[in-house]
Amino acid sequence: MNGSSDVLTLFLFNIVLVNIPLLYGTVGEILTEKAGSLNLGVEGTMAVGAIFGYLAGCATDSLLTGLLTAFAAAGLCGGLFALLTVTLQANQNVTGLTITTFGLGLYFFVGKGLGERWPAMTDVPALVRGFTAVEVPVLSRLPVAGKALFSHNVLVYLGVLIAALAWWYLNYTKTGLRLRAVGENPAAADSVGVNIQLYKYVHLIAGSGIMGLGGFYMALNMSGSFEGSNCWINGYGWIAIALVIFANWNPLLAILGTLVFGFFNTLQIYAGALAGAFPGALGWLNALPPQMFKALPFLITAVVLIATSVRKREGPGQPASLGLNYFREER
Amino acid sequence: MRQQPLLRVVKRDRAGLPVQAAAYLTAILAAVLTGAVLLLIQGVDPLDFYGQMFTLAIPGSRYPWRMVENYIKLFVPLLIVSLALALAFKMRFWNIGGEGQFIIGALCASAAAMKLGEQLPQPVMLLVMSLCGLCGGGLYGVFAAGLKVKWGTNETLLTLMLNYLALYLLQFFAETKAPWNLFLDTASARPKFARFPDSAQMLLVPIGPFRLNLSLVAAGLLCAALFVYLKYAKGGYEIAVVGDSPSTARYAGMRVGRIVLRTIFLSAALIGLAGAFYVSTAGILSASVTNDVGWTGVVVAWLAKLNTLGIVATSALITVLQYGCQTASTSYPAIDANFANLLQGVILFLVLAADFFVRFRIVVRGRNGKEDSK
Repeated sequence: MNGSSDVLTLFLFNIVLVNIPLLYGTVGEILTEKAGSLNLGVEGTMAVGAIFGYLAGCATDSLLTGLLTAFAAAGLCGGLFALLTVTLQANQNVTGLTITTFGLGLYFFVGKGLGERWPAMTDVPALVRGFTAVEVPVLSRLPVAGKALFSHNVLVYLGVLIAALAWWYLNYTKTGLRLRAVGENPAAADSVGVNIQLYKYVHLIAGSGIMGLGGFYMALNMSGSFEGSNCWINGYGWIAIALVIFANWNPLLAILGTLVFGFFNTLQIYAGALAGAFPGALGWLNALPPQMFKALPFLITAVVLIATSVRKREGPGQPASLGLNYFREER
Repeated sequence: MRQQPLLRVVKRDRAGLPVQAAAYLTAILAAVLTGAVLLLIQGVDPLDFYGQMFTLAIPGSRYPWRMVENYIKLFVPLLIVSLALALAFKMRFWNIGGEGQFIIGALCASAAAMKLGEQLPQPVMLLVMSLCGLCGGGLYGVFAAGLKVKWGTNETLLTLMLNYLALYLLQFFAETKAPWNLFLDTASARPKFARFPDSAQMLLVPIGPFRLNLSLVAAGLLCAALFVYLKYAKGGYEIAVVGDSPSTARYAGMRVGRIVLRTIFLSAALIGLAGAFYVSTAGILSASVTNDVGWTGVVVAWLAKLNTLGIVATSALITVLQYGCQTASTSYPAIDANFANLLQGVILFLVLAADFFVRFRIVVRGRNGKEDSK
């Protein structure tokens, strides 16, 4: 019985460990969308943050440099998105998709170009140390939940902290409330003196920067090994866009959503082990196709999207002017 | 009264042709130069690389006609998908579900090929496959359109989700060995897609050493038909009106919901048709059947300003970029086909920037309150 509870603990532990990048991506996209911009470039932005953050972290042997570089590199992608859609009034869908194409192209270009010179994470003690678990005092002693929730690396806690801060910022600060006004009705916000362009730039850049941190996390979680064919991000950016809807544009719900989506994501890997550990209760898991677990986040999101529109309940979460550019002279 | 800002942006009617041409040419040149700098950083000779890329490495190739055939194989799906997406975009319906509609079309056509391939003669079989692709893609697209019309569901996000449902459905068929799975090769122990029967392979008309892919002819006819439809038919006019202003269309007595449904069905059906053409040309289904054509199509349609003839030219160029990069990168280990994506991204960024100067004017505040335009 001990063995099977170990499987369960490991399963729960991995839900958190593997899926925290989703939280970073989602919180970044929530900030972006609350400013009224739909940035479909999450996948590419995360890839850019990941590779430059990792390389900088390796070059300087410092976790902090890695984090800052990831934030800056991804923030540049956000700045580019803002320049094109806010100042130059380009279409947001097209620009976002191009950020993804461009970001993934850049990722492979840099990685392939380094070839043999690619640094290995095992040679960089600071990154290895930064990614080892830090036990939260007392709480980590709890059975099952202690290991699953309270003995993780620093970046897991940082992700949760950023989500909580984003929630507080959006709901309880003056700038946060103004930001939401920008996303709901930019013309009205403009008329009371909110600097729309400034708000959009700042939050689009910050949002993309946070996505970049998630990319950096994924790089470390993959032990920094570059594969020529698969990108580290592996579709997480797209799931993050889905998760924003599932979380109803609320960063706190995004934490919950990450665990729910993470549950299915990890179940796909652990289905066999769980079925083996609990043949009576979970034996049926083996019968389900693994692709179903992959599709579930998107299926759930589609259902949520349809259900909210049927119930006409877009009010609280989805910003009213999401995806529309604001041009002052068209007021 | 507050003083006017030093610089401000004013909308204008489209700039004259010389300004437009200059803006876009500068953008493309700048992108190519950026690419050259990146290649230099990697220690690759840009002239040689670009030389091979833009000629598709045809000079000096042992099978020059084969290169052209491969080019057409990639060009036709991109062309049709971009044309189809432009139809939806003209109505401001953000169909980014091209990937999903393509996959469903390809799956339906493949199912027909595997089920009926042995019994039907080639021309009939190809027709059946095309019809299956059309219906499959069209219904998948019209599902999202219906929800949009009825309840205002956000179509951008919904079609995005539907892409992934289709993708994992395809993966499910690719990886599940079962007696009911008609897509797989029964002779192989590991799950592997089966080749289509001969009658389900695209017709290739031999012209000397070159074999003309029939789907290219079909795509050409489709272009002409769409051009006429958009320019001269009532349906095309309705698309334009709904795109400009749905309330105007409603006021004029048009049934907006019906027009949206009809147009999105057409758009998604054509994407499904492209999927059918592609699998039939390849003669086999594959897990990466789309080649990202649903995403690239969005870029192409936008680069071409949703203009039918512009799309023909743009998709031809983007295919040169992608296929050329693929062939050129074989002689350079440091570069792979992803360089095309990078370059494509830079081109689009710069073209979007150039757009701004075509659509807007920058006005400088004059000395005594008068405006100088620049």
